[in-house]
Amino acid sequence: MNSTVPVALREPANLVSPNAVRMWRVTSWASFAAMVVVALVLWLVLPTWPWWATVIALVCIVPEIPVAIWMPRIRYRVHRWEITDEAVHTRSGWISTERRVAPLNRVQTVDSSQGPIQRWFGVSSVTVTTASAAGPITIDGLDDEVARQVVADLTTVTAAIEGDAT
Amino acid sequence: MTSYDEWQRTHRRSLLVLPITAAKSFLLPVAIAMVGIGAQQPKILLVAGPLAVVGSIGLGWVVWATTRYRIADGAFVVQRGVLNRTSLTAPVDRIRSVDLEASLLHRVLGLEKVAVGTGVDDTRIELNSLSTEEAEQLRTLLLGMAHVAESPADTEMSHSGLEHEATAAAVDPPQVPAGAATSAPEQVLATLDPKWSRFAPFSLVRLAVVGAALGALTQFDLPVIETGAALWDKLIELSVMVVVVGLVVGALAAWTALSVVGYLVQWWDLRLFREGGNLRLTRGLLTTSSTTVEVARIRGVEVTEPVLLRMVNGAEATALVTGLESGKYAVLPQVPRAVATSVAGQVLWLGEEPGTVDPLAVPLVRHGAAATRRCHIRGQLAWTGWVLPLALLAIVFDVAPTALAVGAVSVAVLLGLLDGFFASRHLGHALTDDHLVVGSGQLTRTRTVLERAGIIGWVLSQNPFQRRHDLVTLIATTAAGAEHVTVRDIPRSLAEPIVTTVTPS
Repeated sequence: MNSTVPVALREPANLVSPNAVRMWRVTSWASFAAMVVVALVLWLVLPTWPWWATVIALVCIVPEIPVAIWMPRIRYRVHRWEITDEAVHTRSGWISTERRVAPLNRVQTVDSSQGPIQRWFGVSSVTVTTASAAGPITIDGLDDEVARQVVADLTTVTAAIEGDAT
Repeated sequence: MTSYDEWQRTHRRSLLVLPITAAKSFLLPVAIAMVGIGAQQPKILLVAGPLAVVGSIGLGWVVWATTRYRIADGAFVVQRGVLNRTSLTAPVDRIRSVDLEASLLHRVLGLEKVAVGTGVDDTRIELNSLSTEEAEQLRTLLLGMAHVAESPADTEMSHSGLEHEATAAAVDPPQVPAGAATSAPEQVLATLDPKWSRFAPFSLVRLAVVGAALGALTQFDLPVIETGAALWDKLIELSVMVVVVGLVVGALAAWTALSVVGYLVQWWDLRLFREGGNLRLTRGLLTTSSTTVEVARIRGVEVTEPVLLRMVNGAEATALVTGLESGKYAVLPQVPRAVATSVAGQVLWLGEEPGTVDPLAVPLVRHGAAATRRCHIRGQLAWTGWVLPLALLAIVFDVAPTALAVGAVSVAVLLGLLDGFFASRHLGHALTDDHLVVGSGQLTRTRTVLERAGIIGWVLSQNPFQRRHDLVTLIATTAAGAEHVTVRDIPRSLAEPIVTTVTPS
């Protein structure tokens, strides 16, 4: 070992945008509403409605409620990101959590993307890929401004790297 | 020496090979059509038969006449096709492999097929065929040039005098004497010992082929014997026993013979050696093949011991390589375990001074009682998890006797225990000065050794079950092999120091 005292992995420093919380809340309530609508339509259209159909509908709909209530908050607490001079480091998930680390000298591409819903809430996601199919790192729910800054910074850093980063 | 600035054709003698290749591509539909039509109008065969022969000769000629290649502007270019004229270009500094292959026919004609791979996508540029000398010359030239073109930052993996010598010798490609790389000192890592073929029956890779052959056999109906008297029945019962035992013994004998012969045919004259900056493997009794990978692209090795092989102390070894379709490069067939580990060790340290710790022998750090429990839970889920519900259903719907269902469940529990036991025995990790060593596998034991410098990222994931025991799944991502190496259920207090040690900051 080259380090004298191995240290524990630090938590990434930055939180994502509060707008992301709003987005998660709205989308999960929307998905709940969509399920209810589908169930209602089926109930109106179908000639018979056996008891097990109710069970299936409840199994699909009910778990959406706690998800919509708790998920955005927990996720906001868990989701973190940090870009140091040497590495990109993220934490994500809310039931299972996942932390990803990629040294900057191994980064191959930096993409940012924004779907229609994300645009509505003014957030973007940034994806950093390495030469491994198992290693892409996505930071979800960054403020547009921050995302643009992150992409610009990372591009400058990775452009300076020689070799093929494998 | 041929100048590759001008367009070159494949060898004249390949006109004898190409019609066969061309015929193969339309052989099956034509044969079916002929059998169909020929049954009604046999005369057509008299016309169609020669037509097919002439057609394939013509096609072969067209392929030969339209295929040309050259090296220009730092790229290897192959053009072919008549209507769809395609031009395949590979920048020489992107060429990762030049493989040669010769079937029996190629060998009689003194020809070799050349396949050039860039490692970026799955398409390989093939030339069918060049003369043996031309093929070797092209191979040396392309690999030599590729080596020079490599950027200095890229060769961080291996710095050896040998490699720089080879590089220096190949600086001016047109003046490289044929076989420049071969003139560099060779280091032989392994040659075939025919006695190794004893491991062949314990590897089930070839079983699929034999299984297909047996499947075809069962298409023939066996005569059914009518039986009458009780005496007959007894006799037949006895003879059925004899037949069954005979079949099993016969199948085992046939399998042993076939697999040993197959092993020897495939791996005859195996030579694994280092040639300048490349690791090269040549082999084959009937069809010979030669494959090459750059030493600088090797990121680690893997030694696997499938359960049958493990019982007889055999193992297989592969190198983890970047820029290769599968990412894995089989360096040895089934061999004694000691040979597999020693050759894997040599591959690992090619062009470097071996470290003080042998990553292939270093004892692994265990992951503790909670990890062992999770191994057992996974083992039970893998077996009992689906056998138990099936057995319950069978009892409820009365389709199988209860005793049978109970028996099946007990067998599943036993298998699950075995599975969990071995999984926990094989699970472990170690971090040496240069490598991350990971032990995994249930019935198969696998030891993966990955160079620290080959790790390009980390994933630590934790599900709610793992959180209770503070275990994590640690994944080291890499560009080689399966692109990730997973350390299962490692205590978080051990995982985090690994990440911070290998990837500081």
